[in-house]
Amino acid sequence: MSAQQYDEQYAADRAAIEDLMARYLFALDYNDLDSFIAMFTDDAEFEFARGRVAGKDNILAAVQGFKKRIGEHYKDEDGNPAVLRHMLAHTAIRVEGDRAWTRAQWFEMANNGPGKSLKMGTFGIYEDKLEKVGGRWLFSERRIMNEFLPGRESGPGNPIRSLDEAAG
Amino acid sequence: MSYASDRAEIADLIARYLFAMDYHDADAYAECFTEDGVLDYAMGTLEGREAIRAEARVFKGKIAEVFKDWQGNPAKLRHLVQHKAIRIDGDRAWNTGLWWEMTNGGPEGSVATPSFGTYEDELARVDGRWLFRRRKIYNEFLDGRHSGPGNPVPAMEAA
Repeated sequence: MSAQQYDEQYAADRAAIEDLMARYLFALDYNDLDSFIAMFTDDAEFEFARGRVAGKDNILAAVQGFKKRIGEHYKDEDGNPAVLRHMLAHTAIRVEGDRAWTRAQWFEMANNGPGKSLKMGTFGIYEDKLEKVGGRWLFSERRIMNEFLPGRESGPGNPIRSLDEAAG
Repeated sequence: MSYASDRAEIADLIARYLFAMDYHDADAYAECFTEDGVLDYAMGTLEGREAIRAEARVFKGKIAEVFKDWQGNPAKLRHLVQHKAIRIDGDRAWNTGLWWEMTNGGPEGSVATPSFGTYEDELARVDGRWLFRRRKIYNEFLDGRHSGPGNPVPAMEAA
């Protein structure tokens, strides 16, 4: 298994991928599904709490359903849809040419605590594949693992092992 | 190598370190340190990669004693890193990073956020790879392990 070459190209690709991951979260949390879906390749696969779907149209439909369910599940004290934010912490990124892989720690918080206070939601990791298409990094596969959903937990092995194996 | 590429590699190292720790991969954890690397943390100071590897093998059991879920099982513990100030000077580098941790140890399986602190690191480039030479872990919730009171960044700049 080869190790990552941490060169200038890696730095540039990593910066672009970190930016994509930030834009993804803003798009998701602010219900901007046009921006959201533009971050995937045409044949991308998306795996999350409700299953696995392939292709942009199916991903979009799945996320619309997911957003609706979140609106029903996360409510503030007055019964309004909660303000929910997904956050990203440390991110391991492998880049090989026009392909990349990530393992990234996420968590979520909302205003659904007592008196509309901040309440922590759940946490898990992203396991992504990306492709550079026309000079732009896009998700070709995003798996969202959640440590609070039975059957969706990450691990038990170190996710970095599978990251490095995927990159060859 | 530019600052940007060194910083990118160190950011990746810091992420790999955290995954190794939280998923109990003692070998991957130890490989984040130089051969003479030092880990100075709440449970003691370890000198050398092999001492760190041996300790990492028993982290899981030690953590299971401290962090439990509401039913008494070992909790899932995750360490997170937020902002990082990184100084590079040739083949040496320094990092001051803010960490916090969360578990599933809250009431009825909800999230708990036990503590936060800083990483104050010295790194060395060995055979072209950045590794931790010394990692000191401060915790604002443990007596004797508090960071500060002064800003840790000027100390890093003066090192």
